[in-house]
Amino acid sequence: MGKLLTADFLKIKRKGLWLLTLIGPFGVVALQMVNYGVRKDYLLQQSEDDWGYYLLNVHSFTPLAIVLGIAILTSFIASIENETNAWKQLIALPVSKLTVYLSKFTLLAILLFFSSTLLMFFTMGYGLFLELGDTVPYMELAKYSYFPAFAALPILALQLWIASVSHNQGIPITVGIFGVIFAYSSYLLPDWMIWKWPSLMNQWNQPMINVLLGVGIGFLLYIIGMIDFARRDVK
Amino acid sequence: MEYIVQTQNLSKSFGKEQAVSNLNLQIRKGEIYGFLGPNGAGKTTTIRMLLGLMKPSSGTIKIFEKNITKDRIQILAKIGSLVENPSYYPHLTAYENLEALRKILGVSKTRIDEVLEIVRLKEVAHKKVKGFSLGMKQRLGIAASLLHSPELLILDEPTNGLDPSGIIEIRNLIKRLPEEYGMTIIISSHLLSEIDQMATQVGIVSKGKLIFQDSIEAMRRFAQPKVTFKVNNGEKGWRFLLANGIKADYQNGVIFLEECSDEKVAHIVQVLVQEGISVFRVEEEKRSLEDIFLQMTMGEQGK
Amino acid sequence: MIALLQAEWFKLRKSKMVPIILAGPMIGLFIGLSANLEDNMQGIEINEWYISLFSMNLTYALLFLPLISGVFTSIICRYEHQSGGWKQLLALPVTRGKVFVAKYILIMLLVLAMQILYLGSIFAVGIVKGYTDSFPMEIVWKSIVGGWVATLPLVALQLWLSIMFKSFAAPFAVNVIFTLPSILAVNSERIGPYYPWAQPFSMMYIGGNTDDVFFVPWEQVLTVVGGGFILFFLGGYYYFQRKSI
Repeated sequence: MGKLLTADFLKIKRKGLWLLTLIGPFGVVALQMVNYGVRKDYLLQQSEDDWGYYLLNVHSFTPLAIVLGIAILTSFIASIENETNAWKQLIALPVSKLTVYLSKFTLLAILLFFSSTLLMFFTMGYGLFLELGDTVPYMELAKYSYFPAFAALPILALQLWIASVSHNQGIPITVGIFGVIFAYSSYLLPDWMIWKWPSLMNQWNQPMINVLLGVGIGFLLYIIGMIDFARRDVK
Repeated sequence: MEYIVQTQNLSKSFGKEQAVSNLNLQIRKGEIYGFLGPNGAGKTTTIRMLLGLMKPSSGTIKIFEKNITKDRIQILAKIGSLVENPSYYPHLTAYENLEALRKILGVSKTRIDEVLEIVRLKEVAHKKVKGFSLGMKQRLGIAASLLHSPELLILDEPTNGLDPSGIIEIRNLIKRLPEEYGMTIIISSHLLSEIDQMATQVGIVSKGKLIFQDSIEAMRRFAQPKVTFKVNNGEKGWRFLLANGIKADYQNGVIFLEECSDEKVAHIVQVLVQEGISVFRVEEEKRSLEDIFLQMTMGEQGK
Repeated sequence: MIALLQAEWFKLRKSKMVPIILAGPMIGLFIGLSANLEDNMQGIEINEWYISLFSMNLTYALLFLPLISGVFTSIICRYEHQSGGWKQLLALPVTRGKVFVAKYILIMLLVLAMQILYLGSIFAVGIVKGYTDSFPMEIVWKSIVGGWVATLPLVALQLWLSIMFKSFAAPFAVNVIFTLPSILAVNSERIGPYYPWAQPFSMMYIGGNTDDVFFVPWEQVLTVVGGGFILFFLGGYYYFQRKSI
């Protein structure tokens, strides 16, 4: 597994994947830079808790960026192997197909959480720049940075499954577009829809539920995808 | 007898289409096994099943006396392969491509330089594969298959896209491997001449069925030369020969015989001369392997 | 040119990806049927259709339309990138310019077809919800055609990127980077009108100014949409001319 993962990290060299994991969180915070840059006074009037309101503003874009980011990264990873049908070379090595799949998932999860960490620092950095108050709500900051990623694990598992078994990457990308429409319409969705989870909304107002569901259902979808991947013939 | 590769009634169907049916391959250690057949005969499908890339619809595959479905990883640890078009990561250099595989195989880094040396890609080791010619990519694929010094090497059409000097180079390399490293090699091709120059054993597939499997010598025995007699009156001469109990064929004014000893030739000439027929030429005509191959596959299609 | 269009259509049809235009009406139905703004609107005198149109057009035009048009352009270039389709196509007696234009026209026709199917989904939502008010045909047409016109520059840029990159993910990433900010841009009276990716929303927004042909002033259509189109189309066109295959 470790061997495969280091090989997978080598394969994403020069493909701009690291850049994308940087652009994602940067873009989310940059939108607030524009937002606060244009109408800071108005936004500060909206709430007593300036940090909390700022975090909510940042968080309004986080689920969208995560859903689309996952679709892009999974499709990228799959197309690296698809381009010259390197799957056949990879699977003909003395490694199990299950490990090949696990390695891809792990790589993506690492990129996702790396992105979340960057999001936390960018959010904090701009928050401090805005001078929103002396007490920085570190717990809330960490929550809004990492919880959406945990809640998005089922989406990651689903997108990886679709991307790795589709010859036409138009399919996983289109699924990703549906995903972002769902994420954007989170407030309309029933709680069981996985695309609602990164928004951290649910009828009990307990973000932790989304995190636990994300990890649980994410694991389940991962297993289903892995079994299906291993079952298929390699063309 | 110990077989490195042995398949029993190996079959694969895609929907209604039967790609491979009841294949019984037997490949011994140290052989260069030429796997021959026209395009679309089921060679690549068979190779994919040998590598565990596809699951057989029925039948079993034993490699190193182990079952591929059960001990796939142990078996693959000793196999190097190149299936169809070479696979590579275009955005990485030749060295990095091999490094990505080396990490998984867990062999020493010096092997990368060694295999690049073997396929003569050392000068371009740090260039991106994107800009490689087809022949260079093919050689990179072969280098990748040699990385972990496999005991069994499976090469699917390895000389595809190579120029004549490249073909000779690869051919010499393939011939060297069993001698120097005790490797067993399976090499598929649709070109008979190619197999003829490398293989020690031959298996021929047509429409998913194995129609011939034996040594290359046995295959060449099919290629017995025929003897032709050019005479002033072919038809008349032919009738005389038949009347004398000599089974000969007649076509386009020429009398010819399959399998003909020197004594028999002398006898025939004597008969013809006695009957007053002038013998202009007696020639031995070697049959090309292409002819035989065509004959075999045509026979299969006729059935 | 007609032959080239037919050939492009044939290849696209055989790629079995044309049904992707059904994604448009599916999204329309999803939003239209799950949004329940009627309750909030009670007591306000308004044509019932407008209620659905507001929420449907918002999501559809803001995110879906710009993003899916990029998928179309990637699909139409996909089979050319695979196994040397470009060199085969361009070795035929056709000019590169015509190939580019044919692909562009075909994508725009597909987007138009999707817009019309989306119109169908608006009807369907109204029927399901039992609307009795008269259907605001003129306004809806403005919105459907307007949204289509607004994708002209977006499709040109995406076609450019799809020719440049083999993978789906790379042009899509660029598309996402430009599309997501329009959520903010449309809230700003200063930025919104000048941001090309916000134009599908502006031109489908039925609350806009109805005096003109479209919901946005002609100057904006000509400068932002028209200007964007010329910039991206020529950029892609010249890139394709010089690209080594």
